Order: sequence, then structure tokens, then C-alpha cells
Amino acid sequence: MGKVNNNVPLEYSTEENSLKIFGFWTFLGAEIMLFGTLFASYFTLVDRTGNGPTAAEIFEITPVLAETFILLTSSFTIGLAIHAMRLGSKKATLTFMGITLLLGAAFLGVEIYEFVHYAHVGAGITVSAFTSILLTTLGTHGLHVTFGLFWGIFLMIQIAKRGLTSVTAGKAFVFSLYWHFLDVVWIFIFSFIYLKGMM
Amino acid sequence: MSEFFAQFAVPHPSTLIYIAMASIVLGSIALVAVVTYFKLWGYLWREWITTVDHKKIGIMYLIVALVMLFRGGVDAVMMRLQLAVPENSFLDAQHYNEVFTTHGVVMILFMAMPFITFFFNYLVPLQIGARDVAFPRLNNLAFWLFFMGMGLFNISFIIGGSPDSGWTSYFPLAGNEFSTSVGTNYYMLSLQIAGLGTLLTGINFITTIFKMRAPGMTLFKMPMFTWSALIANLIIVFAFPVLTVALAMGTMDRLFDTKFFAIGDGGMDMLWANLFWVWGHPEVYILILPAFGIFSEVISTFSRRNLYGYNSMVWSMIVISVFSFAVWTHHFFTMGQGAFTNSIFSITTMAIAIPTGVKIFNWLFTMYKGKIEMTTPMLYAMHFIPLFTLGGVTGVMLAMSAADYQYHNTMFLVAHFHNVIIPGVVYAMLAGLTFYWPKMFGFMLNERIGKATVWVMSTGFVLAFIPMYITGLDGQARRMYTYSESTGFSMLNMLSFVGAGIMSVSFLMLVWNIWYSFKNSPRDIGSDPWDARGLEWATHTPIPHYNFAITPDVTDSTSEAFWDSKKNGTKLFKGEIKDIHMPNNSGQTFILSVFFFIGGFALVFSMFTLAIISLIGILACMGYRSMEDDHGYHIHKHEVEETEKSYDKKGGAK
Amino acid sequence: MAKFFPIGQIMGFVFSLILTVIAMLVYFTDMSFTTGMIILLVTAFIQAGLQFMVFMHAGETEDKWAIYSNIIYGIGLIVLTILGTLLILIWDM
Repeated sequence: MGKVNNNVPLEYSTEENSLKIFGFWTFLGAEIMLFGTLFASYFTLVDRTGNGPTAAEIFEITPVLAETFILLTSSFTIGLAIHAMRLGSKKATLTFMGITLLLGAAFLGVEIYEFVHYAHVGAGITVSAFTSILLTTLGTHGLHVTFGLFWGIFLMIQIAKRGLTSVTAGKAFVFSLYWHFLDVVWIFIFSFIYLKGMM
Repeated sequence: MSEFFAQFAVPHPSTLIYIAMASIVLGSIALVAVVTYFKLWGYLWREWITTVDHKKIGIMYLIVALVMLFRGGVDAVMMRLQLAVPENSFLDAQHYNEVFTTHGVVMILFMAMPFITFFFNYLVPLQIGARDVAFPRLNNLAFWLFFMGMGLFNISFIIGGSPDSGWTSYFPLAGNEFSTSVGTNYYMLSLQIAGLGTLLTGINFITTIFKMRAPGMTLFKMPMFTWSALIANLIIVFAFPVLTVALAMGTMDRLFDTKFFAIGDGGMDMLWANLFWVWGHPEVYILILPAFGIFSEVISTFSRRNLYGYNSMVWSMIVISVFSFAVWTHHFFTMGQGAFTNSIFSITTMAIAIPTGVKIFNWLFTMYKGKIEMTTPMLYAMHFIPLFTLGGVTGVMLAMSAADYQYHNTMFLVAHFHNVIIPGVVYAMLAGLTFYWPKMFGFMLNERIGKATVWVMSTGFVLAFIPMYITGLDGQARRMYTYSESTGFSMLNMLSFVGAGIMSVSFLMLVWNIWYSFKNSPRDIGSDPWDARGLEWATHTPIPHYNFAITPDVTDSTSEAFWDSKKNGTKLFKGEIKDIHMPNNSGQTFILSVFFFIGGFALVFSMFTLAIISLIGILACMGYRSMEDDHGYHIHKHEVEETEKSYDKKGGAK
Repeated sequence: MAKFFPIGQIMGFVFSLILTVIAMLVYFTDMSFTTGMIILLVTAFIQAGLQFMVFMHAGETEDKWAIYSNIIYGIGLIVLTILGTLLILIWDM
């Protein structure tokens, strides 16, 4: 594990952790390109609706606002979890992480409702280029959230079992980066897919 | 039941494919028999398959690259043979389509990519004085994902049929309507899996280079190859996700009837071409920048001078890394966008020639007043500069969008990109291979055979590709399986075929050289047979598992730390030997990659149950890894001292 | 209990809520497409910057310039890609 530095938060205390956090930031650069490419495709295909419905016809503001506020709040609570971790409180860390994951699950619930709604109004994924790219973009984000839920559960088990060590702290910090990043992506989905589509 | 098996048959078989099938099956059986007979399974598993040592992973990339060079080369010779005479019937149209498709994919993604990744793996940690890469296990995973993608692509040939819509797989040709076999599914899924591996490599090496440099090595004191690796990996991380998305969309169009690139329902086939080249053009620079890095090392070593214009070399690469993302439209000037757009991308394309030109001049100035020693690697570099410049200049011709309407999709284009990729990438890889061969294997390749190889290769190259410029300007289209006598192309195409044959001879000479040198070369060459300059030469040959017994300190050195220590007596290794922390091997990554392979294969044939089972396997592997607590192990101080002493006895340079 | 709710993060959260509400104006009021897009662009990018700096602690280690240049490089490239794609396939087709 190499040197242990006690002057920095636990998650940075080993060389290995500091490598992992840096590596994860690099990965987020790749994620920017991934979602950006989906946006580029979305903007290209948004008006190509074929015989299917248009954006304005199928978007509903209520579930979108619910999703947005749920995800914003979860981003806040995972931030609090990291803060609690730095204060060394295992219990508070786990509590905030639990709230975050519950909010994540709630977000997914609303998104599933939304997808069912799209299917009902004749906007399935095979209907037109627009519905294909819309559902793929939302679905990619949703899959990231789903993956995050499992990741978070595994992480909570480890923190509960092993306590806040340099290993678990490093993992938790990386997880928080991931979760905040999903919120950033959602902001762009909210602004440039939904609001722009309903404007 | 028979219906189930019928889907795996090759839809358009020929005697050649059956012969190849039989030889692949027999070859595999023979390989398994040999490994079993010599009881090598345990050795393979412990020492290679599960290894996290960057040097061994590098060697595995090298082996894949060389095997794929052979496969892609056979494809190339088959194409030239088919075109050698007009109205030839050696291959029919369908087989010709399959051959040029696999030739392109194999050479770019499964030959050139692993070849540069081999150099990343082998050289970067040594050049920056590190014990390994930042994430050794991720490195192993990256290799196996890449390997499984490569394997999946290659089995298409005998199970289900090869992809046949070009290495670019343009829609609508690549859609279900026009590509009815599963070949294009193979293309989409195997590139996806291999691309994931490449992305992991990119993240790993950026982190390694940023965070694990030896004490005193500032960014602007890094050896030039490491700089080129950093920039290339940066481009990998930002370009490959675009391919990921494009491939995912293409896969969904083919398997789930989505409408991204469909002809009706609002689909836009041009979006594929656009996304493909958003990735595709940076990909070209991912390949060429490390090649430039190798040439920089070779040229400064054998000119016996430090590299001219270090800073301008670095800055030109940084500029290229941004510009490489700003030129992609030049691949489809004729697609129908307006003159305004084409003009913008014409200008950016021509502009990118400037930093490249800067590098050419830097190499020339390095040689100017240098004491040039014409070794085999240097000879590759000397052939590279004029040939590559020719390719670059024809590239500027192609960059003019108005003129491109004449060149587009002709043999002129084929000549151009082979003219940059072969003297650029392939020569660099072979120069690097010859240069670093003694460091890796403890003996030198024969110089006489080596130099002859270079001359034969260049002769073959010129004969094979220069005629294509002429037939291309005369209108010979690429990807056409035959032409008529009246076109007047026969003479020049025959010349190309002869050139391709001569190039094949040069590759056989390379193989012969490896065998000959293995038998005859002396083994007491010390650790620095070329009188080289970089930190990678400052350790023993063969390189110990831990690379450097003491982490080198380059505070008082330049970017050529080893040269400084030889000429000015700068001390590289300060302090004393301590315990060394090393990562553990792991077999999980291999198992995870096998699940990726099975999942990919299942999706190719739309076997969704099997695909879901593999997905569960993948997630289970990741979950298991998440719970695992692995801290590596320590090599004890005494062991390191023992190892170091054994080298001293052998009289290695230090 | 209060120590678990640092003022900086609460301010950040409140600010992000305000930005979201401003963005919502685009839907709930009547405005031109250009004005709407400007509002969305400004709020979205401030919101993203807020996440990176307040919540993700991008600038707290010695690697901060590398992390920032990584993100800025990525954003620059993707803006280039999106604009280029739209130029090729929509605006100038």
C-alpha cells in the first residue's frame, strides 16, 4: 500500500487511492464524450420523427420535474455522505448513502413510469429515429443509475463490515464522483432534451 | 435442431474457406496437444494469462499483433492477386468484399493498435522509472478484452460468415436489408469489446504517466516516446467513446430494429458516417503519434545527438491532439454537405500538416551534423522520412475538397493512406521492435538480414503503391473486385501485385531473422548494446520483475537521463534497496473477458438468453472483485539484493 | 448534528435549486427560442461547474490542473463534435 499520509482525508491517504481517484476523473472525461455523442445524435435526429410522435407531443412536465428534484437532492446527500466520512462518522456516512440510494431508486421508478407512458402513446424505441435516440439517451443514463445502485449497495455492505478504512473511503469517494456526474448529465438531459423540447 | 446449427454455417463458402477452416481446426488441436504434452497449461496460466506484469502483457500484445499482421497480409495478397489481371476469377465479388473488409479492420484495429499498445506497455513504465502501470490488473483486463474482441472478429470467418460492408461499415449497406449475414453483427460487437479494452488502456496510461513518474521527472523532462504515448492515450480516452456509441446504435439497428440509420422512419444513414469518422480520424493519430515517438528515440540514438527541438515536438503533438478532432469531414467531402462546411474542414485538414511538418524538420535537424550510424532501426527511419512525406503531400492534395470529388473512393486514396500508414506506423513498429529486441529478449537481431529486409520492404512498397496513385487518378475505383481489359489498368495492377509479393518476402525475411538470430546471436550483449539514451536502458537485461531495484531520481538529468549518467556521471540511483511492493496476479480478469466473449457471440446470433446469462456472469465477476481485499505482496530487500548480485556476476552494465 | 450539514454544500444545493427553477421558466413562461436557449445554456453550464467544484471537490488536490484540463478538454472536444455534426448534417446540408 505504500506510504500513508495522515495530513489529507482518508480517501487520499494512500498512493493507490490517489491513483484511483485520478484514473476515475480520466474515465469521467470519456463519459463526457459518451453522453456528448448521444447528445450530438439526439440533436441531429430530434426532428426526424417519421410517422411517430414529436417531442412536444409526448413529453410531460410533472415526471420530469420529479426526476430532476429527486436526482438533485440525491447529489446533495451523497455530498453530505462524503462530508460525514471526512468527519469519521460511519453511521452518518451510511445514513446519507442510504438516502442517496433510496432517492436513486425513486428516480428509476419515475423513469420506468415515464417509459411505460411513452410506450402507451405510441413512442416505442422502434417507431422512429427520434424515439430511438430519445430512449437510448435516457436509457443510457438510466442504466448508469441502475449500475450505481448496485455499486452503492456493495459499497455500503463493505463500509458496514469493515468500517471507514483507506480502502472503503477511497471507493466511497470514487462512487460520489460517479453519482455527481450522473446528476450533471441529467441537468443537460433536463435542459436540452425536455425543456428545449417543450419550449 | 438442424435449423439451430444451420445459422452457424458460412453463407457463401468456397474451397479456400474450407481449407482455411480445416487448417484452423487442425492447428488449434495441434496447439492444445503440444501444450498438454509439455504440461504447459499451469505455466501459461500462472506466468502469462493471469500476469499483471506490464512487460509480459506487452509481449502478449506483440504476439497478437504479429499474428494479425500475418492474417491481414494474407488478405492483402489475395486482393492484389485478384486484381493482378483483368476479369480475374480467383475471388468472386462477395469474397472480395469480405477480404477488403477484414483486411482493413484487422490491420487497423487488431494489428496496429496492439502493436502500439505493446510499446505503451513495455516502454512507458521503464521510461518514467516506474515499477508497473497505475492499475496492473486493469491492464490485464484491457488485454483480455481486446483479445476476446479480436477472437470474436476472427471466428466470423468460419462461423456465420465474415463482415462484408467495408471496414467503415457504412449504413445503409451495413443494415439488415443489404447485409443479410451475421458478419456485420460480428463487426459491431467485436469492435465494441476490443474498444472497451482500448479505453481501459487509455485511462491506465494517462494515470500512469501523470502520477507515477520518477522523482525529478517533470512533464517536460519525459522521454519523447512517453510524451507521444500520453497524447495518444488522451486521444484514445476522448475518441473511443464516440465509437462505442456509434457501434451500440448500429448493433441496435441490426438486432432490435431501432431506426437510427434506417432508410425510412426518419433514420439518417449519414449520421453513422459522421460518428464513425469523429472517432476514425483521431484514431489515425492514435496510431501515428506513438510511431513518431519511436522514430524520435531511434533517430536521436543513432544520430548520437539529443533530439532537436524537444519543446516544439511536444507542442506539435498537443496541437495535433486537438486538431485531430477537427478534421473528420474530409473523409466524406462528397456526402452532400455545403461548400461552406467543406471549406472549413479543408482548411483544418491542411493546417494539421503544419505540426506534422515541424516534426519532420526536427528529425532532419537532429540528423544534421549528427554522427549517423546506419543501423537497421535507423535505416527504417531514413526510409520513413521521404516515403511518409510523399504520403503527407498526397494527403494535402486530398484535403482540397473540390479536388476530392475526383480522388474520392479511388485507388489514389488507397495509395495515400497506405503511404502514410505503412512507412509511418509499420516501419516505426518494426524499427522499434528491432531497437528494443535486445532489451526484451537478450540478443540482437542480425543487422545484415535486418537491413536487407528494410530495402526489400521499401522496394516492394514503392512497387505496390505508387502505381495505385496513377490508376486512381485514371479512375480505378477502390473496392471493385475486377476491371475490364479496356480500362488499361492491367499493367499497373500487375506491378502492384509484384510489389505486394516482394513485401511478403520482406516479412518472411523478418521471421527468418528472428529465427536466425535466436540460433546464432551472442547472448553477452550487456544491458545497453546500442549506446542508447533513455531511462529504459538503465536497467538490466533481461529486465528484472521489479524493473528498477532503486527508483531512479532524474532531478539532475535531462529527458535523456541514461545518456547523462553515462557522459556526465549523473547519479541515477540514490539511496539503498528497500522492500518492493508488487501487485498480485489474478485470473478473474480472464474469466470476466470470457463472459464478454460469450455474450458477444450470443448477441451476434441473437441468442438473448445466453447473452443475459453472460451479462449476469460479468456483473457477478465485478461484484466479486468489489468485495475482494487484495493488497499485493512485497519482494523482500534480501531477494532484491540477491537478484541484483546475480546480474553483477554476469557482468551486466550498470 | 449541524456539523453534518456544512454551509458550503447547503449553499450549493440551494443555488442548484434556484438554477433549476430559472431553467423551468423556459417552460412556464412565453419567450423566444433564442432567449430560452441562452437561459438553458447558462444555467446548465453553471450548474455543471457547481457540481464539479462544490460537490466533486475537483480542485482540492495537487492534481487539480490536470483534472480541470481533462474536463475542459473533454467539454471543448464535445462542443466541437456537436457543433460540427449539426453543421454537417443539419445546418449546411
